[in-house]
Amino acid sequence: MEGFFEAIKGFFVSFGDKFSQNFIEKNRWQYLTNGLATTLIITVCAVILGFILGFIVAVVRSTHDKTGKMKAGNFFAHIYLTVIRGTPVMVQLLIIYYVIFQSININKIFCAILAFGINSGAYVAEIVRSGIMSIDNGQMEAGRSLGLNYRQTMLSIILPQAFKNVLPALANEFIVLLKETSIAGYIAITDLTRAGDIIQSQTYEAFMPLLAVAAIYLVMVVGLTRLVRLLERRLAKNDKR
Amino acid sequence: MINVSHLYKSFGELAVLEDISETIKKGEKVVIIGPSGSGKSTFLRCLNLMETPTSGTITFDGEDITSCHGKELDCLRRRMGMVFQHFNLFPHLTIRRNITLAPVKLGLMSKDEANETADRLLKRVGLPDKADSYPNMLSGGQKQRIAIARSLAMNPEVMLFDEPTSALDPEMVGEVLDLMKQLAEEGMTMVVVTHEMGFAREVASRVLFMADGKILEQNPPEEFFKNPSNPRLKDFLSKVI
Repeated sequence: MEGFFEAIKGFFVSFGDKFSQNFIEKNRWQYLTNGLATTLIITVCAVILGFILGFIVAVVRSTHDKTGKMKAGNFFAHIYLTVIRGTPVMVQLLIIYYVIFQSININKIFCAILAFGINSGAYVAEIVRSGIMSIDNGQMEAGRSLGLNYRQTMLSIILPQAFKNVLPALANEFIVLLKETSIAGYIAITDLTRAGDIIQSQTYEAFMPLLAVAAIYLVMVVGLTRLVRLLERRLAKNDKR
Repeated sequence: MINVSHLYKSFGELAVLEDISETIKKGEKVVIIGPSGSGKSTFLRCLNLMETPTSGTITFDGEDITSCHGKELDCLRRRMGMVFQHFNLFPHLTIRRNITLAPVKLGLMSKDEANETADRLLKRVGLPDKADSYPNMLSGGQKQRIAIARSLAMNPEVMLFDEPTSALDPEMVGEVLDLMKQLAEEGMTMVVVTHEMGFAREVASRVLFMADGKILEQNPPEEFFKNPSNPRLKDFLSKVI
């Protein structure tokens, strides 16, 4: 029995030592906070870019499906979707950084935002398109019969409803995006994941930094999920009967 | 007011309307009846170009609308209200916003004017306390009355009704028909596709019988119901009355 308590006590003492060695000494926690900031900047900007790209492509594609117009737009949208969804995001990131911008001295974080945003846009596009297609044709007809044009009907009648319907799928995409940014280290960006690596390389200890990194991702995802649930509830107010 | 000449409409191989010529005068209440699949809804939907005719011309106030595109078409549709079988209210907007959306978006009224109009129309359709409800909170009959109010907010010169009571529970048909009668008495030009023979008899200035994409017989209601001459019409009337 004595030995058991000793062991537990020993665990906590060494846990405390390791904690201070990995995070307190030489202010190593700053790697994590700086990395977190970078991860957040990349994620937020990429989400916005992906959102804009995705909505545009979705509207182009569904306009083509419904009316047969925008043939050229649909053609390019199709190529975009095929290429982006057909290749790994890491390869896209490397191509953007090492091939497209190789000769220009460009901010790495900007490259990452571009790569993740363009990648996410392809997935958002198909999610939003499914949302648009799920709205009954009668909504478009009602809007048009009142004299609204196609664009006005799309913006104020179809898209708000489509957005509400696909919100869970969009949230899923953004969670994936947040975690995908962990490969930004491949173009030497010190994001959250890379910050863990750096601490590990200094302390020769894997457990603590990796656990901390994982915990921070988890907290962010849980927080994001909560936010989305709040938004969903807000948008659901017109469902009450 | 509306002049249709040699109108043809086909969906692929299927000919839905064959050589229809018809004139609708200002203030007339034209009721169209006929078996399902006879093309009566398609005919109605051609009048405001919800369906594009395959050939033939439709003029509205002397203007050839079959050659209208884009803006002209949107302007034209403002002058023709349309009421749908399935109401097609905008579920994400309050009743007030359902009514004011188009007039405000199109710059025809200020927000305050539109709100006043909405209140006035809601009173007229007997639902003054529903302004801040959402469509899903209403019964079918109430929804259809709101849909009529929404169309009226654009001050249309003619109202097109596409089976406005077909999706309603029997006990709610009356309230919608009463409202339509009221509109008729106020002199609105109306084209109504319906299965309500009572309404046709009471309100119509002219009843058209359509089958197989043609108008087979038309007469003022008394004559129409008392002395049907076409055998298809006789057969139809014997089944529905």
